[in-house]
Amino acid sequence: MMNMSLFRLAFIYFRVGALNELQYRVNFFVQLLQSFIALGVGLVGLGLVFSHTTDLNGWSRPELLAVMGVHILMGGLISAIIQPNMQRLLDDVREGTLDYALTKPEDAQVVVSVREFRLWRFVDVVMGLIVLSAALFQLQVRLGVWQALAFVTALLLGWAMIYAFWLMLTSTAFWFIRVDQLVNLFEGVYAAGRWPVSVYPDWLRTGLTFLVPVAFAVTVPAEALTGRLTGQTLLGAAALAAVLLLLARWVWSRGLRAYSGASA
Amino acid sequence: MRDMLRYYLTGMKIAVVEQFQYPAANYFYMIGMIAEPVIYLVVWSTIAQAQGGAVGGYTPGQFAAYYIVWTLVRNMNIVFTPYGWEFLIRQGQLSASLLRPLHPIHGFISYFAGWKVVVIVLWLPLAAFLSLVFKPELHPTLLQVAVFAVAIWGAYLIRTMLSWLLGMVSFWTTRVSAIFELYFALELLLSGRLVPLSLMPLWVQQLAAYLPFKWAFQFPIEALVSPIPPAQLVAGLGMQVFWIVFSTLVMQVVWRIGVRRFTAVGG
Amino acid sequence: MPEREAGLGAALKSLVKRTMREVKAVDRISFEVGRGEVVGFLGPNGAGKTTTLKMLSGLLYPTSGEVGVLGRVPSRREREFLRQITLVMGNRNQLQWDLPALDSFDLNRAVYRLPEAEFKRTRDDFIELLELKDLVRKPVRNLSLGERMKMEIVGALLHRPGVLFLDEPTIGLDVTMQKRIRSFVAEYNRRYGATVLLTSHYMADVVALCKRVIVIHHGHILYDGDLSGLVERFSAYKTIGVTLAEADVDLSAYGEVMGKDGGRVTLRVPKAETPRATARLLAELPVDDLTIEDPPIEDVIERVFALEAPQEAGR
Repeated sequence: MMNMSLFRLAFIYFRVGALNELQYRVNFFVQLLQSFIALGVGLVGLGLVFSHTTDLNGWSRPELLAVMGVHILMGGLISAIIQPNMQRLLDDVREGTLDYALTKPEDAQVVVSVREFRLWRFVDVVMGLIVLSAALFQLQVRLGVWQALAFVTALLLGWAMIYAFWLMLTSTAFWFIRVDQLVNLFEGVYAAGRWPVSVYPDWLRTGLTFLVPVAFAVTVPAEALTGRLTGQTLLGAAALAAVLLLLARWVWSRGLRAYSGASA
Repeated sequence: MRDMLRYYLTGMKIAVVEQFQYPAANYFYMIGMIAEPVIYLVVWSTIAQAQGGAVGGYTPGQFAAYYIVWTLVRNMNIVFTPYGWEFLIRQGQLSASLLRPLHPIHGFISYFAGWKVVVIVLWLPLAAFLSLVFKPELHPTLLQVAVFAVAIWGAYLIRTMLSWLLGMVSFWTTRVSAIFELYFALELLLSGRLVPLSLMPLWVQQLAAYLPFKWAFQFPIEALVSPIPPAQLVAGLGMQVFWIVFSTLVMQVVWRIGVRRFTAVGG
Repeated sequence: MPEREAGLGAALKSLVKRTMREVKAVDRISFEVGRGEVVGFLGPNGAGKTTTLKMLSGLLYPTSGEVGVLGRVPSRREREFLRQITLVMGNRNQLQWDLPALDSFDLNRAVYRLPEAEFKRTRDDFIELLELKDLVRKPVRNLSLGERMKMEIVGALLHRPGVLFLDEPTIGLDVTMQKRIRSFVAEYNRRYGATVLLTSHYMADVVALCKRVIVIHHGHILYDGDLSGLVERFSAYKTIGVTLAEADVDLSAYGEVMGKDGGRVTLRVPKAETPRATARLLAELPVDDLTIEDPPIEDVIERVFALEAPQEAGR
């Protein structure tokens, strides 16, 4: 399944998605404004915290800035690719309009995962990178090759886990109709990723690691940059990512089977 | 006056009946909203513990109390979104409601008020659960509870008026997201929603005193959570009344101008 | 060119399909379609036409029975199978809304992996056939309904599929547009020998395109054969059109009066009695003009569907 077809299709659809978005240049400025405001509020929050303390659970101010940078960056990646596709899948399943996606000569899961693309959300990706750079500069970290590699790997694994989670969640729409409310929950839970998960009480931390993999999406990549990442954690992330992707594939297939047997 | 009362009660009753049919949807929405205060709560409790037990006059237990009550006040603050105005105008509903003898805002106030009743009922078990988990310090006096019960409705009305005022910007422009988003950001910071205002730098606290935001959010929470002397509680209610009256007057003026412009342009 | 396969076509046997509400959408349907045939599925809403089409294209799988198209099982949705079919649904668009159709065509080319030269030839060919040259660069949202439908069909046929599933392709279009699309489909069938399975509400579609008609009602096949045979089998009546020298003569003694249009009266007469009624009319009245016709196909179909319903209720 993980063959070149995936990248080829992704590229094709992203190109069309970009063509679509470029028509609405005003949306770029709207997105820019929203991202700046969100960044502003985030920085105020960070400033507030550090007006009352010198470190949070062992994380220094620039380190927390790095976490924020990863949070924004990952948020951009999620809202540019994962969210619009899952939203459309949800609509299609509810209204029974999935048909065209199923008659294309490509794996249906790939098609429904790449056909939507919001170009302007990449503003957040850029912004996240800028914040990250500022944080790294403040930490006076010289990024070695291995560290950078570990960071990118952790980022990709975290992204893959979020994708798997979203696919499983959206696939439940094949059985339960009112799933759209569940989708709203993600936004709230993802916001928790702004801070390193070690801040949260145990039960919450477990939930943010294994239930909604926010920890792997944000904290772990941030750990890669701040020298806290162990090889163990990275390996664990890889294993968990593989498991989640396989699970998501299975849930998807069952859902598709139910769809093909039930609708008219 | 009698008719008005009957109108309101009918509107509220409809809302109550309707919303009780969707307990699941309402719950999901509320649960999704909990993430925000829980995050704030955890972060500030951590800081409080690191700083030797309290920060800004709040212990972890008090933070818990603040943010749990926060969840109800936040719900009371949810009114007709200013983004909905573009929809109203474009779909012609605004024109239609202008033809009716009653100001359209009454419809919204009464419906949402009824909805709030449902929300309050559904909130109670949620608050109980959160209290079990986060163990808030809460010992309100009877007066505090009474003031709280009134203040949440005062907050609702203030927020309604402000939101309506904001929405009316749509009479003049369609490029509203910049204005709205800036407003929401300021409101977040100056109302006590992000943090209790006592944690903000002094100049921010002074600024917030002159603005209506804190009376729609922080005041009701603190009425229940903080040991405020009775005189100050009543004075707070007075401030709420002031802001309701003030914003209503401004709203009416802007409304008249806006409607004139709206009908002149031939919307 | 696709390789020759023996026994090409669709074969369905003993199908029972249940939906969530335990309704048999399709019950014991069985037929075979040969390569290059153009078959029309007729039936009222909820008859099972769309369900049948969806089973043939692989979107649904039957509760029991077999479906075979091009020698494969459609619901397995194998890549090779999907490359050779196309699905067009009249009320659902596939093209990118905000972009010119050309961009959507390019998208299809990439998805179906069509070699560039061949793709361009096919595309330009179709564009010319349907006179779309000036429209392909306009965003699809700016096109009229008919123009959009033409684009959809071009897009759907760019990969030159051998089997076409068309679900109400002309719905909502004006008469001229319907004719254009019909002639295009007929031309495609003629050129490439493609098999076409079509569902439609419009008799005109079926009459113009299909030699063979399958009538489905309540999930059963009521008729499978030539269109003309349909009238023969189901119409128990003939229509007599009489123009009299005198106006306002009551003709109800001769048959059921269907309508009066000036001096011309339309009568419905049972088939067996037609010769006798005609003879009587000619003998007893001052007839200027008299025609005997089969009833319009629409009427026949309408009666067929209305007829079967009471029987169903008795089950």
